[in-house]
Amino acid sequence: MQHNKNALKIAVTAVLTAVVVVFTMIVRIPTAKGYLNLCDVAICFIAFTFGPTSAFIAAGLGTALADLISGYAQWAPISFAVHGLEGLLIALIVRSRNGSEASIVKKILAGIVCMATVSLGYFALSALFISTVAVAAAEIPGNLAQSAVGFVLGLGVSSAVKRAYPPVRSLSW
Amino acid sequence: MNTSAFVAGNGWLYRFDPRAKILLMVLLCIFFFLPITLLGLFLSVLLVIAVGWRNTGTKNIKGVFLSIAPMLLFMLLFSPFNVRSGEPLWRIGAVTIITVEGALQALRLACRFIGITYVCTLLFATTVMGEIMLALRFWRLPYKAALVVTLSFTYIPFIAESFSQIAESHRLREAALEERKNYIQRLKDLVPTLTSVLVVALRSIPNLAMSLEMRGLGRSERRTSYRSLDSYTRLFTDFVISITIVTMLWLIFKA
Repeated sequence: MQHNKNALKIAVTAVLTAVVVVFTMIVRIPTAKGYLNLCDVAICFIAFTFGPTSAFIAAGLGTALADLISGYAQWAPISFAVHGLEGLLIALIVRSRNGSEASIVKKILAGIVCMATVSLGYFALSALFISTVAVAAAEIPGNLAQSAVGFVLGLGVSSAVKRAYPPVRSLSW
Repeated sequence: MNTSAFVAGNGWLYRFDPRAKILLMVLLCIFFFLPITLLGLFLSVLLVIAVGWRNTGTKNIKGVFLSIAPMLLFMLLFSPFNVRSGEPLWRIGAVTIITVEGALQALRLACRFIGITYVCTLLFATTVMGEIMLALRFWRLPYKAALVVTLSFTYIPFIAESFSQIAESHRLREAALEERKNYIQRLKDLVPTLTSVLVVALRSIPNLAMSLEMRGLGRSERRTSYRSLDSYTRLFTDFVISITIVTMLWLIFKA
């Protein structure tokens, strides 16, 4: 797979963005201010497998596009910031220089950061720009549950994909 | 799975230049945060809804409202309690439950939220995604970023279709066991489905990269380019209209 590096980067980012959109839109549990979904599974998978840059772009862009398509356009900038940051931070924590598996401590830390980023990010930004502190606070438990489940499933899916499709390692940049 | 929020129609908002529409959307979102009277905010939101209703129809306007209704309810129920200052509106004994200021603040937040929602939704309901991308290119969105978004939109239906087929086949294999499973077991069962979907998606990456190369991506002599928005001939007029609308609203309703 000797591709022009630019073409490969664009192809990887585009397909991963589409994956995040599909995971966000296919399973939806309606809540007070939007919906809960599987986007964190895709984001954690990308962060664990592809690294910080891909995770930031695909996670931010994918969730923002899903919001735009689903009629929650007002949430798109917030989703871009929160989920982009979530992907970036997880990838930075679990990244290793020699390509080895991240330690259990790093994984736990990544999980905590994932939950904190999603719940606090949505709380702060939606309280500031869209709703109120009380309404934003009401969504914290839902976001915590979504990100926790997403992280655990993402971890499982990540190692399963690496076993099922080993060339995935050559696609990361 | 629907990958577009576009609602077919031929109202004036559909003929409005997408580049100017993006400017109008941003200006209106800023306007809702400016210090304006509550009545002014209410009337501006009403105007946006009326324009939306005239252009996209009752069904779309109703659908948008229903999607934000639960949050609006939350907002109106809980926001008034946050503001403790001002004249009491509702008291139980010596304790003030809600103040006039609190109630007005809740109404302002609700109006702002409805306004932002409709403004954003109307852009995507009256403009096809391709034209939004072209308009964003006009606003200096980098070529590669636009390409990533465009390519993503072509891959969403393919991945969604794969997801449905894979989920269906996994479900068929264990149809008899499905009812006896608890919530955690159901979540665990998602792993094989999600893994298969991801592998299908990842396998398409090398082909896509090769196609991009074949089409000359990264070369100095481009073989493909984006089409233009030349069919919209009133760009300057629409820019002037966008700025005038927001300026007029601001001058009339400023606090």
